[in-house]
Amino acid sequence: MQIKRGIAVSPGVVTGEVLVLGTEDFRIPNRFVSIDAVESELGRFRNTLEAVWEEIEENERLARDELGDQFGAIFGAHLQMARDPKLIAEIEGLISENSLSPEYASSRVLRRFARELQNLGNRYHAERAVDIFDLEKRILRHLLGERREELVHLTAPVIVLAHNLTPSETANLDRKFVMGFATEVGGHTSHTAILAGALEIPAVVGLGHCLSDVSGGEMVIIDGNHGEVILEPDEATLAKYRVLEERVHSVSQRLASLKTLPAETLDGTTITLLGNIEFPEEAEVCRERGAGGIGLYRTEFLYLEQDAIPTEQDHFEAYRKVIAADPLHPVTIRTLDIGADKVPDSINELAPEMVNPQLGLRSIRLSLRNIPLFKTQLRAILRAAVDGDVRVMFPLVSNLLELRQARMILGDVMDDLEEQKVPFRRDVPVGIMVEVPAAVMLAEEFAREVDFFSIGTNDLIQYTLAVDRADPSVSDLYRSGDPSILRLIRAVISAAAKHDVAVTICGQMSSDPVFIPLLVGMGVRQLSSTPHAIPELKEVIRNLTIEQAEQIAAHAQSLDLARDVENYLRGELSRICPDLVL
Amino acid sequence: MTQTAQQTVRVDLEQGLHMVPCSLIVRTAERFSCEIQIQKADRSADAKTMLDLLTLSAENGSVLVLEARGAEAGEAVEALARLFKSNFVDPASGSKPAAGSDR
Repeated sequence: MQIKRGIAVSPGVVTGEVLVLGTEDFRIPNRFVSIDAVESELGRFRNTLEAVWEEIEENERLARDELGDQFGAIFGAHLQMARDPKLIAEIEGLISENSLSPEYASSRVLRRFARELQNLGNRYHAERAVDIFDLEKRILRHLLGERREELVHLTAPVIVLAHNLTPSETANLDRKFVMGFATEVGGHTSHTAILAGALEIPAVVGLGHCLSDVSGGEMVIIDGNHGEVILEPDEATLAKYRVLEERVHSVSQRLASLKTLPAETLDGTTITLLGNIEFPEEAEVCRERGAGGIGLYRTEFLYLEQDAIPTEQDHFEAYRKVIAADPLHPVTIRTLDIGADKVPDSINELAPEMVNPQLGLRSIRLSLRNIPLFKTQLRAILRAAVDGDVRVMFPLVSNLLELRQARMILGDVMDDLEEQKVPFRRDVPVGIMVEVPAAVMLAEEFAREVDFFSIGTNDLIQYTLAVDRADPSVSDLYRSGDPSILRLIRAVISAAAKHDVAVTICGQMSSDPVFIPLLVGMGVRQLSSTPHAIPELKEVIRNLTIEQAEQIAAHAQSLDLARDVENYLRGELSRICPDLVL
Repeated sequence: MTQTAQQTVRVDLEQGLHMVPCSLIVRTAERFSCEIQIQKADRSADAKTMLDLLTLSAENGSVLVLEARGAEAGEAVEALARLFKSNFVDPASGSKPAAGSDR
């Protein structure tokens, strides 16, 4: 038995057989093929090439239409690279003469070219190696496509263990059979972690090196409450966890019965509970859990789910679906917030080679630099708004100019729609994510120009405490309970109150029952959380009075250390709702 | 009798002969059946292969020799030289034979 500690990103406990995914982005299963398979392998390689060409042509066409000729030209150049006769001849030579597998041959030849470019001593050309790696990935993805799909074609329940899962891989996990997952890398609030919460399966990330210690089919336990993965558990441990699994199950069943009851404190104050979603399908889950609308729709998953850039119609249909799930409640659509986590190939060309992605061309900055892309999304939002209570929210705003520019573009889009006589809604409320300390300092100024604030605690904490949330060596310094964070939240709430601007808290802090009495006590009346947390949050609120919450908030804000704040809040929660503290 | 043609051009691009210009050269060269080489000092690249051209690493200000051998060698060199002279500005001129006839 071996216990590995990581970061708990999605609660729950599960025991089962493990499926181990390869340690590399693309594991090359065979380096050689048998002599009599050479002909068919050559055929497979040529078919792959054709599919790759087609895919690049499609990207080129889309980029040209959506973004302009200069972006299309980049894919045009990729296409020329993929059609390079010397390259193809060299790969085919290795397959037919040395019996290398197409995967291994492609990887070897492309990596040699990349090295050659890197060694030229010219910075621009050295950076082009990235384009070659991109082509390598494309070819390997097509060659290995079916094998990598094994996750999609499961027939029995498994627990997935991987070096890393991309957000799109995580999104595609078959919920019927994948009972939980754990990864060697990843942090608290990476997109993969957020998705695990959305899928409602126990997950632990940032385990460190451990894949080589397990073989497929062995028994493992994932404890998503404590961030532990137990490899080859002994009988006693297994028995203990099976009991725990049962208990978690019964608590969640009891909480499900709260669905139709209001989220009201003991003294009658209503707290609006909203859901954070990534996929249109989750809007239905929010409604089932009794959410009063969608507080944060992370639209970047439209870009992550497919290789091509989504069209206006793709956006429009997704938004319509979310609105249709619960037409009477508000839906806050956040515009593209991409750049810091894994970036899809289609966007990669727009924001290449960031020195520090967390501080680079991401989110609203990316949108303001790629106006056709931004306008496509805004058009779809305004059109979809005809059918519901839609609000638009800009992420990572760090100065007033960005807000004004974004509003101006929104106005331009409205004028275009009007001129084209396309139905849309003009009085859509506009708000910003408050997630950069600069925006907190200027909260009063921002409050004069927006309809609402949403405090994005994940980024606010990382930028305030200067902790990269995905770096395991410092992720323990990432603390929601830090006194500086509480002070920032209080500043936003008081600036908003002066100008009568609504404040919602989203991010992981508002999904954690431990912080609910504090936030309510500080004056927060709207919380947006992962859908599965809604019943727990409701349970806390229904056992709380405003006076009690205010006392808790006052005491928590008098403490000096994040650790003391969090311990105190945990203690208070265990008195309010003992069930919820596992 | 084999036709040959040769012309000297200068790279006038801030980032040198980067990816997009290289792809335009390939696109133009592919229209001709003759063999086309681009030389920079002691290195030589096949104008119909992208990776060869990239590894030529022709920086801003480099002097290159375009050399074609075979059918329509003169036209091929002329078409490529035009790309350099127009500084690769109009991508359409690289793919459509009719464009650029005004020069």
